[in-house]
Amino acid sequence: MSEQVEHLIRKEYAAGFHTAIDTDTLPPGLNEEVVRFISAKKNEPEWLLEWRLQAFRAWQEMEEPEWAHVDYPKVDYQAISYFSSPKSMEDKPKSLDEVDPKLLETYEKLGIPLHEQEMLAGVAMDVVFDSVSVVTTFREKLEEAGVLFCSISEAVEKYPELVKQHLGSVVPQKDNYFAALNSAVFSDGSFVYIPKGVRCPMELSTYFRINEQNTGQFERTLIVAEEGAYVSYLEGCTAPMRDENQLHAAVVELVAKDNAEIKYSTVQNWYPGDENGKGGIYNFVTKRGVCHTRAKISWTQVETGSAVTWKYPSCVLRGDHSVGEFYSVALTNNYQQADTGTKMIHIGKNTRSTIISKGISAGKSQNCYRGLVRMNPGAEGARNYTQCDSLLIGDRCGAHTFPYIESKNPSAVIEHEATTSKVSDDQMFLCQQRGLDAEKAVSMIVNGFCREVFKELPMEFAVEAGKLLEVSLEGSVG
Amino acid sequence: MLSINNLCASVEDKDILKGLSLDIKPGEVHAIMGPNGAGKSTLGSVLAGREAFSVTDGSVAFADKDLLELDVEERAREGLFLAFQYPVEIPGVSNMEFLKASVDAVRKHQGKPELSSVEFMKLARETSKKVKLDQAFLKRGVNEGFSGGEKKRNEILQMMLLEPKLCILDETDSGLDIDALQTVADGVNAMRSAERSFIVVTHYQRLLDYIVPDFVHVLADGKIVKSGDKSLAKELEAKGYSWLEGEVA
Amino acid sequence: MGDLQTAALKLAETQSAPAWLDAVRRRGAERFAATPWPNRRTENWKYTSLAGLAKKELRLPEVQPVSVPEKDLIALDAYKLVFVNGVLDQAQSDSLPDAVATFASVNEQQIELVQSRLGALADSSQHLFAALSEAASTEGVVVHVTAGQKLDKPLYVVNYSSGEAAQLIATRVLVVLGVGAEAEIIEQFISSDAQQANLVAAQTEIFLADNASVQHYRLNLEQEGITHAGGVFVELGRDANFDGFAIAKGGELIRNDYVLEHCGPGAHVELQGVYMPRGQQVVDYHTNIKHRVAHCTSNEVFRGIIGDRAKAVFNGRIHIFEDAQKTLAELSNKNLLTSNRAEIDTKPELEIYADDVKCAHGATVAQLDDEALYYLQTRGVSKEQAKVMMSFGFINELIQTIKNEAVMNYLLPILAEQFGRENELLQLEAESFDEL
Ligand SMILES: Nc1ncnc2c1ncn2[C@@H]1O[C@H](COP(=O)(O)OP(=O)(O)OP(=O)(O)O)[C@@H](O)[C@H]1O
Ligand SMILES: [Mg+2]
Repeated sequence: MSEQVEHLIRKEYAAGFHTAIDTDTLPPGLNEEVVRFISAKKNEPEWLLEWRLQAFRAWQEMEEPEWAHVDYPKVDYQAISYFSSPKSMEDKPKSLDEVDPKLLETYEKLGIPLHEQEMLAGVAMDVVFDSVSVVTTFREKLEEAGVLFCSISEAVEKYPELVKQHLGSVVPQKDNYFAALNSAVFSDGSFVYIPKGVRCPMELSTYFRINEQNTGQFERTLIVAEEGAYVSYLEGCTAPMRDENQLHAAVVELVAKDNAEIKYSTVQNWYPGDENGKGGIYNFVTKRGVCHTRAKISWTQVETGSAVTWKYPSCVLRGDHSVGEFYSVALTNNYQQADTGTKMIHIGKNTRSTIISKGISAGKSQNCYRGLVRMNPGAEGARNYTQCDSLLIGDRCGAHTFPYIESKNPSAVIEHEATTSKVSDDQMFLCQQRGLDAEKAVSMIVNGFCREVFKELPMEFAVEAGKLLEVSLEGSVG
Repeated sequence: MLSINNLCASVEDKDILKGLSLDIKPGEVHAIMGPNGAGKSTLGSVLAGREAFSVTDGSVAFADKDLLELDVEERAREGLFLAFQYPVEIPGVSNMEFLKASVDAVRKHQGKPELSSVEFMKLARETSKKVKLDQAFLKRGVNEGFSGGEKKRNEILQMMLLEPKLCILDETDSGLDIDALQTVADGVNAMRSAERSFIVVTHYQRLLDYIVPDFVHVLADGKIVKSGDKSLAKELEAKGYSWLEGEVA
Repeated sequence: MGDLQTAALKLAETQSAPAWLDAVRRRGAERFAATPWPNRRTENWKYTSLAGLAKKELRLPEVQPVSVPEKDLIALDAYKLVFVNGVLDQAQSDSLPDAVATFASVNEQQIELVQSRLGALADSSQHLFAALSEAASTEGVVVHVTAGQKLDKPLYVVNYSSGEAAQLIATRVLVVLGVGAEAEIIEQFISSDAQQANLVAAQTEIFLADNASVQHYRLNLEQEGITHAGGVFVELGRDANFDGFAIAKGGELIRNDYVLEHCGPGAHVELQGVYMPRGQQVVDYHTNIKHRVAHCTSNEVFRGIIGDRAKAVFNGRIHIFEDAQKTLAELSNKNLLTSNRAEIDTKPELEIYADDVKCAHGATVAQLDDEALYYLQTRGVSKEQAKVMMSFGFINELIQTIKNEAVMNYLLPILAEQFGRENELLQLEAESFDEL
């Protein structure tokens, strides 16, 4: 590959701007007072404060995990601010018209218009800016169908029973270090409830934006699909470019009751840091869903951002005949590090899971698949199929595969395969000989490599994801 | 020998055999022809007792027994032999071991004395010569890495060793060159006797020049739609199956 | 430090050993004491508990005049060395060629070799039981085949465990092959009966200079009571060739670490292994193939059948370093569980830092093939027998790749017995096919 290709235009991280806006930001530091402050700020009931405090106390006893194949300087948890909200959000705008135009402008700039008429038809959106939810669109339309879609803070106020019943039911407070931290200080996030037998009439989506400096984002998402319900949900994320690393520690819980189906897609484009590895988001996320009888949870993720990613969207296949799926594209460039994968815990009979993971490493990045497939003794007739492919671009990056396979049932069948390959000179030559430039050729080859995953994304986002890869790969050819 | 009455069978909730009847007397050779997907192999599988196929109606009597009541291996021990259209590879299990286990099981059931290992070895070698299968194949894994023709000859080898009452040959001729076809046919012809019957499933009239059938049947859409003597095969080769369409409906 | 660590070190202090081993023993003792006792969070021991071992009351080897039953020995034309509880039994052993010596019979040059090489591959700062085996080291074998030479007969090392006590066995094998040299090494581990409960921490190191080639067998055929915590550590020079075969029937715990390092271009590793624990036995293989340089290849295949309440752990890592372009590496691990209470934990790993490589691994946990079972049944074979045949076949496929026929013929009846298969035909097959 030619020299000059290396110097092909490096487009800026397009979402890297910062919105100058008056904010209410808690000074850095974490103690019980901070936890109480956040809870009070949100008018939370006593039980939730207690719940947070339990998590906080547990967190203090826990150690930051070190087993992942990532290497980053220790996070100073006292140097982070745990709450930041635009001042204009103080008096809770009732509708979009009351929202600070500067905020709306921010989303326009990100290519996400919030006025319903301008939005993608058929997609309702919850928008989270630093620690608070700015707006949720299409609410009336959803309410007609009985679907509840709002920020989690609002859900705590309006539907306390539903929240109380499910919060922490999938990811307990003390599940792991970052989940405990999140449980203590979670600020906002989305809540979705689909009643029995309802097929959610539109795609639901949440857009997360970190804006303020030195803040962490700790959102919490809870999706409950009652018997026979269906929902497709998508989240996207961006953050300004900064030289400091910022922390993002989210928790997502999915509950799919009997015969329900939840499709959860993520396009993660947090600021990855610059080409020298300076700055970027630490993305430490716990995502897990429980499937009851014949339920299905499907995780699809396209991970192109963040300096460090630590994330294993998982399925607990509790009910008989339940299905778990994980489709992932993780692209790392420059100095990014990703340790991501999934856990499929087969408990019920005839449970099925499919894992398709595509890792692309470029630059000096490290990209690691880590997965667990566990067949419990009761998982009669269970099946898993796993395919992990890695693509390396350049000779200074790393691609790793660490699958844990555990079986205690003789009738369970597990198949795991992994391969690595590179964008070969032959492929490049062919494309270039047909008139494509090197960058285009690489992006085409990479897109082909990811096809199996992209086809799982909702249509509009599949196109977005393809473009995102192209941008993220810029400067990777050399 | 074999009496099939209104046999209906399905696989994965799909009906394949839809009321098939057929009578075969000792010593007879019946050829079954028919378009792809008609259910020819299904008939073989159902008669052999393959689990995936469920019989939804009808009955099958085999040598005065209710065939459908028997397990797969019991049918084999009673003398029903199926030469597979696609013989299965079993890596690591030596062909010799496989043949011995099989012959032992069948002989024991039939009250014949068990062959000593030495006797068996001799027999296996002689028989493999007859089907022109190199001795080395006896030591290899069952069908493991065998060519198409070698697999088919291995099927005939098994048939000769087991001396069944009823042999069902499912496209044993497909993909064979003339020499191999001759070998297979010689094997079959050598085994023809007044007590032994054959069902020969084939797409090609060619085979029937070597193994001359007493009857030819056309199986289409899960039923026998036409029966005749060996001239029917010639007619089918010339005209195809479409002229029979009326009878299918 | 765990109780077993303290106890083992105390034992080691009272051992008598050649003075020239002092430095190695001291290093081992220090490192063994400094290594934390593994628990579930220790990644290398995540699935394998050492709780049973910790309860053992270890003793020093008892010197007993026991002869190894003839039927347990492989009919080999080889240089045979028999160690009973880690102590060389001259009477049962052959006289050795110049290239081979035991620690008791080494010359100056061989002492130097041991001092400079022992522990260079079996890194006692990384491997707990390599440290123990250094600390308690008294006996061992040195093989030094000089450039262009070939060890004219295989070296056959028998490690026999017997007696009531749980003894600490720490024999070492050190193999150094010069440029283009060749050798065949067969290591066999057996125990007198199911109650015999030794801890065998036998470590083997093999240095292959450029173009050197070794065939290596590690046959763990011990019985229920044994804890084996051993390792095989190999360094391959340019165009060197390692051809290895491993088998473990099972024991209280049979753990082997294979670490193979490609240090010169063009080297090749072929490693095949089978395991089949039953009862409450545990087998654990940890393999790590390190490709440090370009143009090397490796092919690794392990298969296991786990029955009853037994457990198997397989961890197979392929590590491609930055400079190891043009590597071809493959690993396959297939498992069958044959009981509701059996367990398999397998983890094939790839760690890759070079782009122009072809690496693949696959792991499966499955049942016997339905299609093949049906085929056997249509030939009159009962389902039970068909299962036996196929289980045997599953393992036999790898056994058939064994190059040393005597070893293969020795293993086949053991396998047959393991799977309850008739064995008469097998022998006949082996004999009468020779004339075909
Ligand atoms: N295991 C199975 N699962 C689902 N469908 C099957 C199965 N086996 C056969 N079928 C279907 O049953 C029908 C009959 O198949 P069968 O193999 O009996 O046809 P055939 O007459 O032998 O055809 P051919 O001449 O191509 O061998 C086909 O439509 C086939 O696809
Ligand atoms: Mg057919």
